[in-house]
Amino acid sequence: MFLMVFFTMSSCIEIIDDLTFKSDGSGTFKYTLNLSASKVKVNSILALDSLDGKKVPSIQEIKDKINKYKETIALKEGITNVKVETDFTNFILKIQCDFASILTLQKAIKEIVIDESKNKKEIESYWLTWEGNKLTRSVPSITGDLTSRLKKEDIEGLKKGNYMSITRFDRPIEKCENIASLISANKMAVMLKITPYALIQNLNLLENSIVLSDKK
Amino acid sequence: MKNRCLFVICMWSLISFGQSSDDLIPKEAVTVLGINNTSLLKKISMDSLIQYEFMEDVQAEMFDGSADNKTLKDAGFDFGQKLHVFNGKTSNYEVSGFSFGISNLKDLLLVFDDFDKVKSPINGIDYYNSYFNHLIIKGNSGLVLRVDPSYEKIKHVTDSIWIKRGNGYFFDDKDKKAENEGDDEAEEPIGKILKDGELEADDSEVKLNAKDLINKTYWELKDSVTNVLQVNYLQNILVEIFEKNIHLKSQDSKFETQLTHESEGIFYMDNSRNLQNAKGLWYFQTMFPELFKDIKTLYSGNIVVGDIYLKENSIEFKLQANYGENLGKIYAKLNSTKFDKNVLRYIHEDCAGFFTYNINLKEGYRQAYDIIIPLLSKQKDPRVTSNVLKAELLNEFVNLDALFDTYQGSMFGTFNGVKKVKTKRIEFTYDEKTFEYSEKEIIGEEEMPMFTVGFSTGRADIPEKILNYMGKMTTRFKKTDNYWKIDDAIFNSIPVYVINRNGLLVITNDESLAIEHLDGYGKDAISGKKAKNAKKSKFMYSYFNVGEVLSKIPKQVFTVKQNKVLDSMRGKEGYIEMTTLKTSSSYTDFEINYYFQGKYTDSGKYLLDLINSAFILAK
Repeated sequence: MFLMVFFTMSSCIEIIDDLTFKSDGSGTFKYTLNLSASKVKVNSILALDSLDGKKVPSIQEIKDKINKYKETIALKEGITNVKVETDFTNFILKIQCDFASILTLQKAIKEIVIDESKNKKEIESYWLTWEGNKLTRSVPSITGDLTSRLKKEDIEGLKKGNYMSITRFDRPIEKCENIASLISANKMAVMLKITPYALIQNLNLLENSIVLSDKK
Repeated sequence: MKNRCLFVICMWSLISFGQSSDDLIPKEAVTVLGINNTSLLKKISMDSLIQYEFMEDVQAEMFDGSADNKTLKDAGFDFGQKLHVFNGKTSNYEVSGFSFGISNLKDLLLVFDDFDKVKSPINGIDYYNSYFNHLIIKGNSGLVLRVDPSYEKIKHVTDSIWIKRGNGYFFDDKDKKAENEGDDEAEEPIGKILKDGELEADDSEVKLNAKDLINKTYWELKDSVTNVLQVNYLQNILVEIFEKNIHLKSQDSKFETQLTHESEGIFYMDNSRNLQNAKGLWYFQTMFPELFKDIKTLYSGNIVVGDIYLKENSIEFKLQANYGENLGKIYAKLNSTKFDKNVLRYIHEDCAGFFTYNINLKEGYRQAYDIIIPLLSKQKDPRVTSNVLKAELLNEFVNLDALFDTYQGSMFGTFNGVKKVKTKRIEFTYDEKTFEYSEKEIIGEEEMPMFTVGFSTGRADIPEKILNYMGKMTTRFKKTDNYWKIDDAIFNSIPVYVINRNGLLVITNDESLAIEHLDGYGKDAISGKKAKNAKKSKFMYSYFNVGEVLSKIPKQVFTVKQNKVLDSMRGKEGYIEMTTLKTSSSYTDFEINYYFQGKYTDSGKYLLDLINSAFILAK
């Protein structure tokens, strides 16, 4: 509901998902949501009681919810060092945590999503797999469920936004399957940059298979 | 000759005792909308009509599929009679429905195919039922009626019987739960959706515990009470209408007069009964019955009537707000003022929408004080007495001249379109070598509706004192040579400008007004007909360019209810002008005209859209 409200609120949205992997499979996950380019619109909606029949949360309710998520994430097995930064002047939210393995990270995210969903439907698939020198990533099925609830006019508005997906490693990248991906000059990171609109139209755009070099 | 006499007698009887749709509106109706336009109604499909909010109360589902592709004409409606949609409320029940003429009963019953004919409780009428809806036919007129006893009444009667039978107070926890349910829960489907081949559990096999049995007995009793009350209230209404000839037309001369008008539509709303039956005033009515009676008297005669005229290039609403003597005295004083011409200079000729509002607050306050304080002073309740004392002391000690010279009661507002305003935003820039990113503050632009509001003031020094104080308290209030700038005043992002000159306190988010047009728009200010109309319409005047305003103001700034009203207007062109024609001690005449400059094709839909908007606002 909160994410839906945010998507509806903002046309000019910037999302950065930043995943850092170590060779042992552990790493750091960072997620940044930047609505500062739409802060007038966000503020105008926050001033309303409801939008399209749905209650608009107050800033305090959003803060409480974020804190609740932070506490919930911190309790998940294999998740440590949870940090949340919020800036309600510019409407920027940053979440960061360390994970012991790719499975623990996905399990934690899945559990939170299931807890928050009304139907408590199990999410069966995983969207990240790590095979020692190859990372395969796709888009979680829940994203499709979420985006299907967006209205046509809200989806149109997302053309102006940015979605940056960055994956970092402690070894150089040898090759990437997704031809749209950019490899950093130091070969240690790969980035996919698309609009949220494009992502909603085609969830496969973020799919990638990244093969790493054996040498550090 | 004998036959001729018989014919005359028969015709006379028919005219004398026949009831038209005008005579079938219960006296309990508080709001009535009558449509009297043959060409308009003939074109409207039943499906379109029942989609409107004003038909909502009479259960659109009753037409369940049977109205497919049928116009009102196909449905056996007689256009020689008006179609009246009404709803009303008493302290015990709500009533809603519509009355209409019938040209072909067979066709009509094909549309109302969910209704079953049952034995009529009243002689001389045909009576049909469909769940809670009733169709009553007398001669060539029909009435669809629904009566819903109020929750309070049902609970009161049920509890009385329940306790009398030796049971304790029944705590209605289901209702308590319903009250606390949030919006999210409301989205869940009410019933379980069964898949093919899946059978629903049989309730009779469910074992009930002692508490369930008590609940079941209580709910059954409540259902019976609801049913009995419904039948009784309905019976009373039918007896009044069909036997005693007591209905709204016979009881309210203003409504009766309204029915004689040859307009395309008529409107009636009894505000005094709205006050009487307002749920929110229950506490006030219970705790201060005498005071409520006095306030009711003050409010008596508060009836709004109106006519809707459909012209070639315009739709015209003529409204008359009637009020009683005392309220009339207050309104008369409020209106004893001159139009402040200064406001016109701050309204641009090309402005998409504006309003002017002009009252004499000082005189209005004095008159209201003289009428209301004696009513309150009669009360012995300590809270009322204490508040009366406070009001009397404030009246003595406060410098009313200074107060009402500062805010005299006249104001104006304009919508200056949408402009791009500068806002700071954060952008993430990344390093090509590592893709590490950092935040950078940049100046961006966002679209923002530009509004200006202004008040006439005879004491510019007083707001200046407040602004000076605020300037010392916070750096967000900055004084320039000619105006004040309040940073981040709107949505924590947009500055607001305050111009305190020319006997006006003008507040705007339009930077160009503060910087370039401190003394108004000069030769670009409104003039001609619009200015003349605003000056002439002393109490209130508004103008807005429908297409421009509605397409520019973001939907998000309106509430769901407001958007419902505006949705029916979006995509239309032309302009709407509201003027106050005449104010007297017993009524004020308003005119709301919608000029579409010939750019419309379906007048019926336009009119119904507008009627629907008015209905939603009046509800």
